[in-house]
Amino acid sequence: MRDDTSGFLGWCRRSLPKIVLAPSFVVTICFVYGFIIYTGYISTTASKMLPNSKFIGLTNYEKLWRTLNWQVALDNLAIFGILYISICGLLGLGLAILLDQKIRGEGFLRPIYLYPMALSFIVTGTAWKWFLNPGLGLEKTMHEWGWSSFKFDWLVNSEMAIYTVVIAGVWQTSGFVMAMFLAGLRGVDNEQVKAAQLDGASSYQTYKRVIIPQLTPVFLSAFVVLSHMAIKAYDLVVALTGGGPGNATEVPATFMYSYTFTRNQMGVGAASAMIMLMTIAAIIVPYLYAETRGKRHE
Amino acid sequence: MSRPYQDSGVGAQRFWRVLIYTTLLVFALFYLLPLFVMLVTSFKSLDEIRQGNMMALPEVWTLEPWFKAWGSACIGLTCDGIHTYFWNTIKMVVPAVLIATLLGALNGYVLTKWRFRGHRWVFGLMLFGCFIPFQIVLIPMSQVLGNLGIAGTTTGLVLVHVTYGIGFSTLFFRNYYEAFPTELVKAAMIDGAGFFGIFWRILLPSSGPIIVVTVIWLFTNIWNDFLFGASFNAGEGAPMMVALNNLVNSSTGVKEYNVDMAAAMIAALPTLLVYIVAGRYFVRGLMAGSVKG
Amino acid sequence: MASLEIKNIRKSFGSTEVLHGIDIAIDDGDFLVLVGPSGCGKSTLLNMIAGLDDITAGEIVIGGETMNDRHPSKRDIAMVFQSYALYPSMTVEKNISFGLEMRKVDKAVRKQRVAEVAQMLQIEPLLKRKPGQLSGGQRQRVAMGRALVRDPKIFLFDEPLSNLDAKLRVDMRTEIKKLHQRLGSTIVYVTHDQIEAMTLATRIAIMKDGVLQQLGTPQEVYDEPNNLFVAGFMGSPSMNLLPATLVDTDAGIAANIQQSSGESINLLLKPSENHAQWIGKAVTLGIRPETITDPGSAEQNTGLVTQIDCEVNVTEPTGADLFVFTELGGEEVVARMRSNSGATAGEQAAFSFNMEKAVLFDQDSGERIY
Repeated sequence: MRDDTSGFLGWCRRSLPKIVLAPSFVVTICFVYGFIIYTGYISTTASKMLPNSKFIGLTNYEKLWRTLNWQVALDNLAIFGILYISICGLLGLGLAILLDQKIRGEGFLRPIYLYPMALSFIVTGTAWKWFLNPGLGLEKTMHEWGWSSFKFDWLVNSEMAIYTVVIAGVWQTSGFVMAMFLAGLRGVDNEQVKAAQLDGASSYQTYKRVIIPQLTPVFLSAFVVLSHMAIKAYDLVVALTGGGPGNATEVPATFMYSYTFTRNQMGVGAASAMIMLMTIAAIIVPYLYAETRGKRHE
Repeated sequence: MSRPYQDSGVGAQRFWRVLIYTTLLVFALFYLLPLFVMLVTSFKSLDEIRQGNMMALPEVWTLEPWFKAWGSACIGLTCDGIHTYFWNTIKMVVPAVLIATLLGALNGYVLTKWRFRGHRWVFGLMLFGCFIPFQIVLIPMSQVLGNLGIAGTTTGLVLVHVTYGIGFSTLFFRNYYEAFPTELVKAAMIDGAGFFGIFWRILLPSSGPIIVVTVIWLFTNIWNDFLFGASFNAGEGAPMMVALNNLVNSSTGVKEYNVDMAAAMIAALPTLLVYIVAGRYFVRGLMAGSVKG
Repeated sequence: MASLEIKNIRKSFGSTEVLHGIDIAIDDGDFLVLVGPSGCGKSTLLNMIAGLDDITAGEIVIGGETMNDRHPSKRDIAMVFQSYALYPSMTVEKNISFGLEMRKVDKAVRKQRVAEVAQMLQIEPLLKRKPGQLSGGQRQRVAMGRALVRDPKIFLFDEPLSNLDAKLRVDMRTEIKKLHQRLGSTIVYVTHDQIEAMTLATRIAIMKDGVLQQLGTPQEVYDEPNNLFVAGFMGSPSMNLLPATLVDTDAGIAANIQQSSGESINLLLKPSENHAQWIGKAVTLGIRPETITDPGSAEQNTGLVTQIDCEVNVTEPTGADLFVFTELGGEEVVARMRSNSGATAGEQAAFSFNMEKAVLFDQDSGERIY
């Protein structure tokens, strides 16, 4: 550093890096952590349409858990989450393995699998809403092509609607999971594959015993990213089903929005947001901690 | 990956190759179909849609739905098409991306080349901001924006996106600068360059790739955003996705599927174009933003 | 154990031929080292022996059986890779027994074979660990263990020591040599390090640009290199190569060297019938550093020692020796003298040239003149 580091000016110069970083840091502290605390505070008050400072402890949470809509939202999140994560994972891994077989035209196929990631969930929802339109979409197409008994009214079927969200979600994100696994596969030392060949292992055995066990970090990353997206899923549901039919595809994110802004139950809405946060934190925080621990660069 | 040696005979080999290619092509169809249907529907007349097959090519190609989507479709009470909202979004996205990128670069620079005690904590705290469900900040943010008098304005939305975008941009730049040789910075210091000098003259010129990655990432995410737009600027100045959703989900009148599809295509075009042109950087952003901190 | 024959092997990648007709034959129990600079094709050849790369033309014959179309796992070979290629998610024990497991060998037999090998390589305490927890030398031994447990006809080594630090490399080299002596196995070993080649091999195959330069015992390739490349490649410091002309003198045919000072030096050569046709022609003279010494340590009982005074450019003491650099015929020449011989940079010193083992090369083709 320069030699004129004395006095106030010197202090300024030395602290310049921190001063530059400070606005972003302060903004993060206030607008992320401060807001979290505020929302947490609201969740313990009797806020309805507007914030109310009357402290009511965990009443909102109790109310939340007794609300049918919330139960539905949680059920849907479980169904959606489990299916979304596992199908994306399996599909992504499968496609990556296939693409890794020295395929001609890989440079052509990969972008096709990935492009849905560039789209907004609103666009995806809109497209699939049309595609699965009972009466004019897939169902009609199948009828036209000769399969007259084909029925696909999932979109308006209370039981099945959540599965359309799964389909659209998988369509959007599986390409990304495939890219992650492909990168992981390519990171495996090729000499190990040769050694396995020499050892007499078939392709299947090589994948099962040598290659896939090394992909654990990728499975973990994929799980973290996918579960994060599943919990946050809002845009997709809004565009695809609007939460319906009725409340059949209600998820915590849509619940929070409607209870806070349209149903004037701000306290309960805040409580639901806190629950969402805690669920994500339970997954992300250990993951981040383990990752930054391992990265000791000094 | 070296291939399994030809031990099972050429016939078996060929069978597997055919199976692999077929599977891959079937999935390629799966990914392309909705886009194809969207496109095709947007060029048909409503009659054709109602009578025909969703997947059939238009018998009569028409640009009518596109013009309507752009200029005369009804969203809410106004029947002005989506073009205003399209430009609104541009006016919002460009400043947000620029500011968030610049701040991210500076932050990354400080965190890697001007290390201080607790830098890892600072980074960690900022990083966590990327992962929170944004529902958690809706209530306080709407209050703050209201108090500042910028609720329901483009400025307000820019502020929101910058706030929640710097986590990512800092992540990208920090990881990139981490790998940048510190010797160059030290050499520059010996040559007399100061804090900003090193940034502008040494680091930034070499930051091409990561700037592209960050800009693409931020652009895509902010352009595609719905939640913040719907929460903080849902009215006249609403961004693209809010307008699209309003258009498509409007319960009044006849459902004009072709207009809906055309509008969706227009909304998707910017990010799709970016993806086609700079897909490589898009993927890099995906990987960097997801795999590790 | 088995013999190995490489018959006129050619390899092309697309339209580029990288191996141009390699012929090598070794016996059961030989330690063949394939050595050469990067890109000479030695690893490609090894992969072809293993079956990991296919053969464009020619035959690989192991123990009398042609192996061209056989799967690598059916050739009864084992390989130690440069990066060791240990399976990271398996324990050392599982790593070693994996090949046996794939061949459906009985569990009890597997356990026993692993124990035998572990004892031989002294890696018993490591059996339950994973590769990530081992040091470089330990990993190397596990890799060897994995090869040994197969009891194959031929062992293949692909630059197994390049990832180790200098001291470990020397230690492991000795270990490998001891293993070879103990087991009498047939080994094919690839390296770019000519010292490894010299110390380990019973036969050395020197390759360059996909062509076999010379096949012989270490001493053969050292003392009687076929061409300039082999001469310069083997030996450290490398053989001195300088331009000379053959002249007829009273004492016999000598190599005449022109100094830049204008001075002319004659070095009497070992008599050979061929030399006569080369009189008056320009050749390259090859003299190894250890044959140029201070007069005190020169060979006494040979008539082919010539002593000349030359100016010393640089000296490099190694403790045991003193390497003295001078100039001959316009080329830098290294001599190996006793450490206390007193040669000093900038001064004249007496150099004794023992021409018993000097060699001559055709300047144009680089081929040896006998």
